[in-house]
Amino acid sequence: MLRVKSPQDFWAGLLFICFGALALFLGRNYAFGTVTRMGPGFLPTVLAWFLLGLGIIIGLRGIALDGPSIAPGKWRPQIFILLGIVLFGLLIERVGLAPTVFIVGIVAAFASVEVKWKEAVLLSAAVALFSILLFIKLLGQSMAPWMWSP
Amino acid sequence: MDVFANLATGFGAAVTPANLLFCLVGCLLGTLIGVLPGIGPIATIAMLLPITFGLDPLSSLIMLAGIYYGAQYGGSTTAILVNLPGETSSVITCIDGYQMARRGRAGAALTIAALGSFFAGCVGTVVIAAFAPMLAGFAEKFRSPEYFSLMLFGLVAAVVLANGSVLKAVAMVILGLLFGLVGTDTQAGVTRFTFGVSELYDGIDFVPLAMGLFGFAEMMGNLEKKLEDRSSTQKIDSLWPTREEAKLAVPAVLRGTAIGAFLGILPGGGAVMSSFASYTLEKKISKSRAMFGKGAVEGVAGPESANNAGAQTSFIPLLTLGIPSTPVMAIMVGAMMIQGIAPGTALLTEKPILFWGMIASMWIGNLMLVIINLPLIGLWVALLKVPYRLLFPCILILCCVGAYAISSSTFLVMMMAGMSVLGYTFNKLGCECAPFLLGFVLGPLMEENLRRSMVLSFGSPTIFVERPISLVLLLLSLLLLLMIVLPSFRKTREDAFQE
Repeated sequence: MLRVKSPQDFWAGLLFICFGALALFLGRNYAFGTVTRMGPGFLPTVLAWFLLGLGIIIGLRGIALDGPSIAPGKWRPQIFILLGIVLFGLLIERVGLAPTVFIVGIVAAFASVEVKWKEAVLLSAAVALFSILLFIKLLGQSMAPWMWSP
Repeated sequence: MDVFANLATGFGAAVTPANLLFCLVGCLLGTLIGVLPGIGPIATIAMLLPITFGLDPLSSLIMLAGIYYGAQYGGSTTAILVNLPGETSSVITCIDGYQMARRGRAGAALTIAALGSFFAGCVGTVVIAAFAPMLAGFAEKFRSPEYFSLMLFGLVAAVVLANGSVLKAVAMVILGLLFGLVGTDTQAGVTRFTFGVSELYDGIDFVPLAMGLFGFAEMMGNLEKKLEDRSSTQKIDSLWPTREEAKLAVPAVLRGTAIGAFLGILPGGGAVMSSFASYTLEKKISKSRAMFGKGAVEGVAGPESANNAGAQTSFIPLLTLGIPSTPVMAIMVGAMMIQGIAPGTALLTEKPILFWGMIASMWIGNLMLVIINLPLIGLWVALLKVPYRLLFPCILILCCVGAYAISSSTFLVMMMAGMSVLGYTFNKLGCECAPFLLGFVLGPLMEENLRRSMVLSFGSPTIFVERPISLVLLLLSLLLLLMIVLPSFRKTREDAFQE
């Protein structure tokens, strides 16, 4: 049974290997060209091999040499923040700026364990108002303040 | 003298009521966001970038310069008051600044930092005005091989200065280069790594990438941590340093400015290296070495001036060669590109008013920071006490609107979500995002220059060592790499990041 001595390095190595392999796979049909006349595939391929090689070295070092472990993460901040961003993307063209900001603000507030319902609603309402003033009135961005087009 | 005539042109362009207002707003916003704990200048600028989209090029650059200096200043404020460096270059300020604050000298520390920075900023401005045209003349000799070698040097410097494992930093640079190549290969007319998404044809957009990698990744990290105890914020009594403190500070400011102005010009130098070098020097020559780490005035004055001078002069490689030498400068390139300005040799000759106006605005930005921030310090302290749970939803919304506003595309918002996951993962795995960002910006430029060099030399890579300037740059890169291998330098580097 293999024991990973430095999880950070091991997983980072693996990540680099994946990216390198992905670049090689996606770029397999780009013309490589010659050194004098480099094709679109030249640099990506070379870089991808470098990345792959480095990934292997970093990964192996992670198995062989002691290093820091990965600090345990928490799911809550990640999920609510991502949900907030994605919701913004989904809503902005359907309901307009103000409702989007209001909803996203409330959802995002739950990323913190200290969230309070009332506070989140009030804050989001204030930010919604403020963003209409700032982005639409002051900066003249072409966004509808509110609308309904499902 | 020519320098002053040029500067006068610049001031003429920069000093209009509207531009002064933009500069003021930029400084205020930059400080506002920069003071918030856990948000460095990169995230700050990326976040506020969309606000400048609607302005004309000069006004938007003026505002951005204001934001940049404001963010820097905000970083030192948190470093002194709550021992939280807002950015890497104020890590050093934490050491003695916070100790000064604990001795009840917070006000003096802040004033010294502000005035020292302002002095350094003035000198930095003059250095840019004097050297930029010279360097631009020199840069006219640059052809593709020189540019390629210079960029390589910048990337090597970014690797050496990165925190933690060198191997991982190299891998991050390469990954960044690969990300930079996404989009249409203009020479071959082929799209690469775009998955058929039309939004990617012009490459990955810089703003959502930076906001995701830096802004959101930092935010997720902050929310995971136990909320820090803000009650440790120190009280401020008097803003003015005593006579003895001033006596210690003035020479330190002068030395720090000189170090910073010089190191900032070197690609990859910039603010971080400057402040560290200055601190080391002050500690070495001080008569009361024991005071360092316990609130030495020189330990605040020197590094703070150095990092500001460095921040200022790091504009030189950007403005004259078009090469960003630090991640913050990479953002500046992004901002200039959005405004349709290509930084580089042509900027000085083709758009002199813009060039000199921007340089003048840097000085104005520095002045404004001193004028507005010392009286407003109470406000920033109050802001430090606003709980994070109220701040981060606002930041999140600001970023989302910004990403969307770039081209009214929800794809960019979604991409930003993806980038934040990536940034969070990198942070967890101890991979620094700064080298990645630099690689990302330089990717397409490097490819273009590599190609041209190879066409020039009919495919012979010896062209890089046959041309003298290019050879010097390559040798310098090699030297930097060798330095990491040296145990003594390695130790200093580790110490620097540990402190």
